[in-house]
Amino acid sequence: MYYNNWRLALSIFWAVLGAVLIVLTQTELLDSSMYSGMGGALVAVGALQIARNLKYRKDPAYREKIDIELQDERSRYLRQKSWAWTGYVVVLVEGVGAIAAALLGNRTVQLALSYSVWLIIFVYWVSYLVLSRKY
Amino acid sequence: MLRLSSELYIFLFEEGDGLKNRIEEIRNARGIRQEEFARLMGVSRQTISSLENGRYNPSILLAHRIAAFFGLTIEEVFIFEEE
Repeated sequence: MYYNNWRLALSIFWAVLGAVLIVLTQTELLDSSMYSGMGGALVAVGALQIARNLKYRKDPAYREKIDIELQDERSRYLRQKSWAWTGYVVVLVEGVGAIAAALLGNRTVQLALSYSVWLIIFVYWVSYLVLSRKY
Repeated sequence: MLRLSSELYIFLFEEGDGLKNRIEEIRNARGIRQEEFARLMGVSRQTISSLENGRYNPSILLAHRIAAFFGLTIEEVFIFEEE
């Protein structure tokens, strides 16, 4: 069961948090329009998830569709593959960016991108280590 | 970097690995629609379509489930052609 009480509570939390942010910006207790936008996004996401959760509970056909989508092995394979490719592309783009920054003499950007590449490689290495112990 | 380029090569140029199957043939012979078959196997219709077109190879669990549903062995449904 994907949409359980815990997920419903979390969705309500996001919606309430968003509403609080909007109220705080409207009453000028928070003075940034960024918080207002963030609040709106949280309310929208929270409301959408609450609606999905309620539909999942009431509509057996929708529940079956969602359960199959989440458990479907090809979808899981595609999600994993997509994340893997996202990681590859990020490393490549950041690597090229670091070299470009070095050539342009922007040491701050060069260092930030280089550290980011090393962090991703480190996370990959740790993940591989943990997974190789599990499987 | 070598590993990355080999992954890229596999993604772009490698084709199927010689695993064919008779799912579509057996399913049609038994008059089961793709949507119904997908529901019975607990997967999406796209998964069945990809399996039948040879674009996706199933896990051993799904292969077993499909073969058991047809009352056949895995070897009778899935044919491995070694290159």
